[in-house]
Parts: sequence; structure tokens; C-alpha cells
Amino acid sequence: MPGLHSFASWKSAICAGTLLLSASAQAQTPSPSREGVATLSGYMEVHLNKEQDLPAEADLHRFVLMVGHTFTDRLKFWSEVEIEHAFVEGAEESGEVAIEQAYVDLMLHRRANVRAGMVLVPVGIVNERHEPPTFHGVERTFVDSVIVPTTWRDTGVGLFGDLGRGFSYRTYFVPGLDATGFAAEEGIKDGRQQGGHADASDPAITGRLEYRNVGLTAGGSFWYGGSGFGLVRLEIESPKVGVASVDARYRRDRHELRAQWSMVNITGAGDLNRALQANTGLSPNIASRLLGAYGEYAVRVSPNSWLHEVMVFGRYELFDTQNKMPDGFQPLEELQRSALVVGATYFPDPDVAFKFDVVRERNKSSFISAPWRVNLGVGWWF
Amino acid sequence: MILLLIVLSLFLGQQANRPTGQQANRPTGQQAIGQSGHRVIRVSAERFAFTPSEITVERGTVIEFHLTSDDTDHGFRIVGTDVNAEIPKRRRGEAVVKYVADTAGRFVIECSRPCGAGHTAMRAVLIVK
Repeated sequence: MPGLHSFASWKSAICAGTLLLSASAQAQTPSPSREGVATLSGYMEVHLNKEQDLPAEADLHRFVLMVGHTFTDRLKFWSEVEIEHAFVEGAEESGEVAIEQAYVDLMLHRRANVRAGMVLVPVGIVNERHEPPTFHGVERTFVDSVIVPTTWRDTGVGLFGDLGRGFSYRTYFVPGLDATGFAAEEGIKDGRQQGGHADASDPAITGRLEYRNVGLTAGGSFWYGGSGFGLVRLEIESPKVGVASVDARYRRDRHELRAQWSMVNITGAGDLNRALQANTGLSPNIASRLLGAYGEYAVRVSPNSWLHEVMVFGRYELFDTQNKMPDGFQPLEELQRSALVVGATYFPDPDVAFKFDVVRERNKSSFISAPWRVNLGVGWWF
Repeated sequence: MILLLIVLSLFLGQQANRPTGQQANRPTGQQAIGQSGHRVIRVSAERFAFTPSEITVERGTVIEFHLTSDDTDHGFRIVGTDVNAEIPKRRRGEAVVKYVADTAGRFVIECSRPCGAGHTAMRAVLIVK
């Protein structure tokens, strides 16, 4: 197992490096080359979900391994392989094995470096920061599920860099979406091509500008591009999709705040609905605009003297996948939703999070009520 | 549930004192201390950035980096030098690294410990004039 051996050696190197603390280091002698060193890390999360009127469900939701490799100081590889829901058997829909990231970084200049491969779309907070200890709540936010379809990734090439004064950016060209996968309830989620035989004839551009200062991270991000039809032939113009998102996180002492606003616009949604109905016999009732936003506050309630941390949090979310309908289509009111999520996270270590939350979802429908949910989970990063 | 978690913390928790040398809520950034040519620079690490991400000193400066993390443990490696320290996890203290900036140039600082999806881009720059 040469990879694991290298990993162990690397860990030893880090320990040795730590011994240098408080010691004067001279610049003349370069540190041992890290070329050829492979690294292994990952994260996992296990959930127990109880939804009103349904049996409780236990799920090893994500098992993710990350492998990296340093060719040289200017050339690095990073990857993320995920197994969802514990197993994949035949063509069952119960599980998923997915490459979430697999890219090479070519470091050219602080302000402009090249990234190519399978990349994460840099929209919102969670899509790029989804390790379980980095967010409160057992499940990811609703906004980051049905408005921004995390984990959103695709093959792409682009630039990233640090602009100085706390600003950084990432921008990539990626294949567009597949509009035949769009739906009323989950928006563009099933339109992601995810890097496998993706139709690249209708490309998209995505990017993020981020600002960081002490305790504060704020960002604006977008995705804009086409949404061809995969293998289905529809005699309409390919809809254009635009995604815009603004987010911020702030941490000071015991307190954490985070907020995000995200919007999806789909041009030609009316024609798309009619064409899909002619093709399948059922109108998907795709909206021309989807809108989501949330605000979250968390506070550490454990004493300062404890290394273990207990945090409680509350989050309010709006997630409306029928926010604006094309002419001739009526919104499904049960999909104009909001949710109040309250819970707690216990960190025996900053990389291990035991989570609990209660979700009260609501919608605008007078006939279909949204369920309560209670969730328990544990997630860890190594 | 919250009560349960708190009780669990009591049993399992290390109600230990903070590690010695932990940062006392001083702002991240650069601070000069009395002695000429000697600077204390506080750097905060968080997935996937160092703050500040640009540090400028005069040649010959003895830098004392005080390194803390807001989340997991990170690495602090100045490429082309012997400096490669581990920054302890959130609220686990700080790493202190002394470095004599006796060579002019731009030095890339990178996270040398895998920390997540954006690890490879977690970089800063040390400019020695």
C-alpha cells in the first residue's frame, strides 16, 4: 500500500515540522520536497430521520474519500469520491457513487492560476464547504438542496486567484444543464450533467468573488448558460438558465451568523413545459423563477473552559420553486415553502459533530400540509 | 437533547484549561512589537484561506508568526524554506513560528495539511522587500 505508506510518512513530516515551532527557521535551506506525496482525507455522515407519519429512517448518507497528490509546488491534484446511502446495487436508485471533484491546479501566479477537471460550481456557501462539521443541522439547508443543487459539480476549466485586500475569485467554463431534468419540486437539480458524457455544446460560465476579513466571509456568485436536451429532441429554443447568489458568514467569540440569498431564472420555461408535456404526456410545471433565502444564528453555550463545544442554532428558510410562473401556468402552492429549523451541535472535537434538529416546514397550500421532521446525525472529517 | 449534550460534555469533555500560549482574542494581522526588526504577525486559518493573505516585511526582519485556526488543523508551509508547521484546531491553542526573513522575494505560503474541498488553493504570500 504505497499510498498509505506515503500518507503515514507525510503525517510524520507534519509532526516533525511541528517540532520546529518556536525555533528559528532560516530561509537558506529549502524544506524537503513534497513532490510525489499523496494524501488521504475524507468525511462521513450518518443520519436518523423521522418524518411525520413515516417510519424513522437510518442512513449512512455520505462516505467520502479525498485523495490529493502534489506533482510539484506548482502542480497539484485533488479529488473527492463519494458513496451515498451506503451501497449501490445494479440500477437501483438507492445509492450513488460519484466523483465530486477531480482536478489539477496549475499555479502560475497568485492572481491567476488554472484549474481543470471535475470542479465544484462555486455558488453559495455549502457547495464548496460541505464537510459536516462546517454547517449546523443534520441535513444541508433546503436552499442548498432545491435552489442551489448541491453538490453541484461538472467538468470544467477556469481560473482562480487571490486579488489581495481580502478578495479572491474563481471562475470556470462548464457544460450547461439538461433541461429535460428540470422539475417543479426540485428545480434544476436533475438537470445537472455531473461530468458523465455531458453535452458540452451548450456551455455555461460560473464564478464567485469572495471577500474575507477577520471573522467575516462574504461572497457573490453566479452561473449562466444553456440547458440543452440531452438525448431528447425538443423543437424549441434551448432555455437559458441564470443563477445568482449572495452569501455571508460571520463568527465572533461565541456567536456565528450566516445568510444566503439565491435565485434561479429559466427563460422559455413555458415552451419547455409544453414541449415536455407533448413528449411525456405530463406537464412538469417548471417555473421561470426559483427563489430561496435563509438566515441562521448559532451560539456556543458551553463554557469557555471546555474544549468540547455545544452550540445551539436556529435557521429560517424560504424556498420557493414556483416563485414566478411562465404565462399560462399556475404555481403549485405546496411548493412555495418555508422552514424553521432549530437544533444543537455537539463538537467533542472540531472535526466531529453530533447533530440534532427539529424542522417545521410550511407551505402556502390550504390542502397539503408540510410535515414535521426530527433529525439526528453524526458527521466527521479526517 | 441540549441538556443531554451538555451532560455528555461534562463526562467526556476535557474541562481542562486552555493550552498554554493560546491567543487571547487579539485581532489577526500584523503587529510591531518594541524591538526594531522584530515583528509579531497573527495569521488565522480557515477552510480555505489564510487571513491576512498577503504579508509584507523588510528584509532582515525576524518574524514571529502566531498561527490559529477557526476550524480544523491546517498546515503552514513557506515554500522554499524549512517552515512547515501544524496549526492546531479551533480553540486548541496556537502555533508560534519564528522566521528570519533574510532573503528578499515573494514566498508562497500554503496549507500543507489536507483540509477539504478547496485545500489546494489555500495560499498566502510573504513579500520580503
